[in-house]
Amino acid sequence: MNGSAALRRDPAVAATALVLWLLLALFVVYPMAMLLARVFVDKGGVTFAGVFGVLTDRHQIRAFWNSLLLGALVGLGGTIVGFVFAFTATRARLPRGLLTAIDAAVLLPLVSPPFTTAIAMIFSFGPRGLITYELLGLKGVTVYGLASTLSSEILTYFPIAYLTLRPLLAAIDSNVEGMALSLGASRWRVFRTVTLPLCVPGIANAFLLLFAASLADFATPLILAGNQFPVLPTQAYLQITGLFDLRGGAALSLVLLVPSLAVFLLQRYWVSRRYYVTVTGKGAGQTPFDSVSPGMRAALLAFCALVAASILYFYALLLYASLVAALGANHAFTLAHYRVIFTEGLKVIRDTLIIAGLAMPLGGLYGILVGYLVTRKQFLGRRTMEIVSMVNYALPGTIVGIAYLIAFNEPPIELAGTALVIIACYVFRYGPTGIRTTVALLQQIDKSLEEASQGLGAGSGTTFRRVTLPLIMPAFFAGLGVVFIRSMTAISATIFLVSISWSLITVKILENMTELSLGPAAAYSVLVVVIVFAVIALIGRLLRAFRAPGQVQVASMLGG
Amino acid sequence: MDGETIGVHVDGVSKRFAHRVKGEVYAARDVRLDVKPGEFLTLLGPSGCGKTTTLRMIAGFEVPDEGRIRFGGQDVTAMPANRRGIGFVFQNYALFPHLPVADNVAYGLEVRRVPAAEAAQRVAEVLRLVGLTGYEHQFPSQLSGGEQQRVALARAIVIRPRVLLFDEPLSNLDAKLRVQMRTEIRDLQRRLAITTIYVTHDQEEAMAVSDRIAVMSQGRVVQEGTAQDLYRRPANEFVATFVGRVNLLPGRVVALNGGVASVEVLGTTVRVREVPTGIANGDAVRVVARPEAIEVVPAADGAIAATVVAHAFLGEKIDYDLRVGESRISAVRYNAGDVMPDGTGVGLRFAEDALALLPGAKS
Repeated sequence: MNGSAALRRDPAVAATALVLWLLLALFVVYPMAMLLARVFVDKGGVTFAGVFGVLTDRHQIRAFWNSLLLGALVGLGGTIVGFVFAFTATRARLPRGLLTAIDAAVLLPLVSPPFTTAIAMIFSFGPRGLITYELLGLKGVTVYGLASTLSSEILTYFPIAYLTLRPLLAAIDSNVEGMALSLGASRWRVFRTVTLPLCVPGIANAFLLLFAASLADFATPLILAGNQFPVLPTQAYLQITGLFDLRGGAALSLVLLVPSLAVFLLQRYWVSRRYYVTVTGKGAGQTPFDSVSPGMRAALLAFCALVAASILYFYALLLYASLVAALGANHAFTLAHYRVIFTEGLKVIRDTLIIAGLAMPLGGLYGILVGYLVTRKQFLGRRTMEIVSMVNYALPGTIVGIAYLIAFNEPPIELAGTALVIIACYVFRYGPTGIRTTVALLQQIDKSLEEASQGLGAGSGTTFRRVTLPLIMPAFFAGLGVVFIRSMTAISATIFLVSISWSLITVKILENMTELSLGPAAAYSVLVVVIVFAVIALIGRLLRAFRAPGQVQVASMLGG
Repeated sequence: MDGETIGVHVDGVSKRFAHRVKGEVYAARDVRLDVKPGEFLTLLGPSGCGKTTTLRMIAGFEVPDEGRIRFGGQDVTAMPANRRGIGFVFQNYALFPHLPVADNVAYGLEVRRVPAAEAAQRVAEVLRLVGLTGYEHQFPSQLSGGEQQRVALARAIVIRPRVLLFDEPLSNLDAKLRVQMRTEIRDLQRRLAITTIYVTHDQEEAMAVSDRIAVMSQGRVVQEGTAQDLYRRPANEFVATFVGRVNLLPGRVVALNGGVASVEVLGTTVRVREVPTGIANGDAVRVVARPEAIEVVPAADGAIAATVVAHAFLGEKIDYDLRVGESRISAVRYNAGDVMPDGTGVGLRFAEDALALLPGAKS
C-alpha cells in the first residue's frame, strides 16, 4: 500500500501521524541538531575544535576512561547479583512469601531517586557515618571514590539485570534441564552446560543495560565519586554550571554518546538475535525438578538475604535520618525536617507533582499512539518514526538535557524556565517505554482479531475503540507509571532545565546534599519513595483490572 | 548394543499433589507394574490419569510419596535421575537449543567420560540408525519436527540406557509422520532390546507399538494386558470405552453352561464365551459389542430390526449409526457393497465370537 492511498483510506491516521511527526521534529530532532551545531559549527564553518579540546585534555580523557571502567564494573557486578537473584527466584523452590520479599527488595531501588543509595552510603560510611564513625570509631575515612560509587550503582541497578534474566530463566524449558540430568549430568554440570549457555544472550543484554545505565548515571558519581574519580556526565555538568562553557559541556556529552551508541547497537543487532529461549511471558509449565541442592539453596538464599538486607538497611537509614535532628551528631527525634520541606520546600513539591501529573497522561497517550501507529498502520516514514521516537530514550540524560538547554534557551523557540520544557523532556524521554510495551502487546495480539471485528461490520474507529484499545490498556497504564515514576525520580536531563519558577524535588535533594542539609534531603527522598509507591500500587490495581492473558508484565517496564 | 537388559518393578507407588481447589489429590495411587526385561510396556490413559507422573517417578524426576521402584534387583526409589541410566524422550523433545545435533547426541557420552574417538563413532552410528547422517552440524531450530524427534531418540539410546522412557513422544507430529515414527520406534526397540516404558493417550498408537498396555484412570492402573486382551476382554466400562469404540448393551444372563453364558439382549439371545468371574445366572449384565461385532444385513436376514440414522462412507468401511427401539448402536461394515441410506430399515446380527460381558450398570 503506498502512502497516498493510505492517506485517502484513513485521514485520521494521517493526521495523527502528522502531529506526532511535528512533535518529534520539535522535541527530538531539533534539540539534537542544535546540540551538534553547537559543537561542530562555529562562525558559519565546520569545526572540530570543541571535540578536539576534550580529546586532548588529560583530565577529560581520565573522565572518559573512568566512565568506561565504572560502567564495565557496574555491568559485571550488577549482572552477577541480578543473575543470582533471578536464579534463586526461579530455581530454589522458594515459598511464595519469600519470593514476594525478594521482589519487594528489588523493586525499592527501581522506584527511588537514583541517588538514594548514594545518600544512605554517606550516612553509613561518610566522615561521621553510622558505621564508620559511630560503630567502628574510624576517623578521617573517605567514602568518596570508585569503591563507594561502584557499590552504590550496583545496588541501584542490579534490579534491571534481575528483571532481564528472571523471565529468561523461567522460560527455559525445565525438560531440557531434566533431559541433561537424565543423561547422567550432575546438577552443577547441568547448570554449566545447559542453563548458563542458554542465558548467555540475556546475560550479555543485562551487562549492556547496566553498562549504559552506569554510563549515563549522573547523580551517584556527583555525590560519591569525589574529585579523585571524575566521570563524563558530572564533568559535562560542571563544565556548564561551573565554567558556563556550553560548548565544552556539549562536546563532553557527545563523547559519552559514542559508547552509549555502541551499546545500543550491540544490543539491538547482536544480542537480540542470539536468543535460544523465547520469553513468552508464561513459564514452561512442567513440574520443575530439583535443580538446586539443599546446600546451594541455603547459600543462594543467604546471598540474596544479605543484599536485600543492605537495601532495606539503606532505606531504613534514610527514614531514620529524616526523623532525627542531625544524623551522627544529635539523634533526638524530630519532625523538623518534614516541617521544612512542607513549608519552605512546598513549592518544589507542588512543582514536581504538577509536572509529573501533566507528563503522566501525555506520556501514556504518546506511548500507545506511536506504538499503535508503527505496528498496525502503514504511513510515510513509519520505520523512521519508530527509530526517532527511541532517540531520547536511548541517549544518556545528560546529552538530552544539554541538547534541550541549547535548543530552547533562545529564539526561535524559547521555552527555558517553563514547565513545558521539563514536561516535554519527560514525555519524549520516558514515553518510549510505553511505545515498546504497546508494540510488544500488539505483536502478541493477532491481527485477525481486528480483522474479525471488521468482518463483523465494525469500522476502523470502532475496531480500535472496542477491540484494540482494551487490549493495549495495560501498555497505557504501564507507560503512565513509568513516566510518572521517572518524572518524580530522574535528574540527569532535567537538572539542566530547572529554573527559579519551576524546580524539581530531585534537584532540591541534590542541593541539600551539597549544602550538607542532610535531614531535609532524607525527608524529601522518603517523600518521593512514598508517593511513587502509592502511585505504583494504584497503577498495579488498574492493571489487574485490565489484565489480559499472556500480556507483558509491568515490572519489566520499570527497568528502562 | 551391550547394556544389560533388566526389568522394571513399580511396587505400590503413590504421589500426592496439593491442589488449589480440591486440596490434596493423588496423581498416582498404588501403582503396580512389572515390566519384563526387554519388554515394551505402554501406559495408556486420558490426560490427568497419572501416566506421566508415574513415568517421571520411574525416571527419577519425581520422588514417590509411597512405594518402591526397582530396576532389576536394585532399589532406585531415592536415586536421582542422573544415576539411573535411563534414556528419556520428551513430548517436546527438549533438545539443547544451543548445541548442534552431534553435540546434543554426544552430551550423555561426555558426561560418562567416553573417550572422544569412541564417542564420535557411537554418535555417527546412532545417527545412521535414526537416519540423520549428515545432520551433525545442524542446530535443533533448523530441523523439522520429525527430525527433532529422531535426534531426541538418538540422544536417548546412544548412552545404551538400562531403561528407555517415552513421554507422549509423537503428539507434536502430524498424523502421517506419527504412524511412520511409531513403526520406527518399535523396530528400534526390538533391535536394541531395551526395556521400554511409553506413555500415550492415543489408544491406536499404544496398540501398535506395545507388547503390553497398562490402562490408567484417576491415578490407578485399571487393567493390564496385551492390546487384544484390552480390546476383547475389557475389565470395566472405562477400558471398554477408552480402548476402541464400543456398544454397551444392557442384558440379562438367562443360562450359564460350561463358561458360556446365554444373554438376553435387544430382544434376542446371544451366546458369549468371555464371561468374567462373579457373574451368575440371572444377573443383569452389559454386553460389550464392538462395532464390527454387529453385522448389518437386509431387514429380512437379521434377528433384530434397526433403522439407519446416519452413515459415513470411509472407503474401506462404512460406519453406521443405528437405532433399535430407544437404543443407539454403532456398527461398521467392511467391503460392504452399496451404502444403505439413512432411514432404511435393516437387520442386525451379533458376531458371537467377538462379544464380551461386563457386570450390569450400578444405577
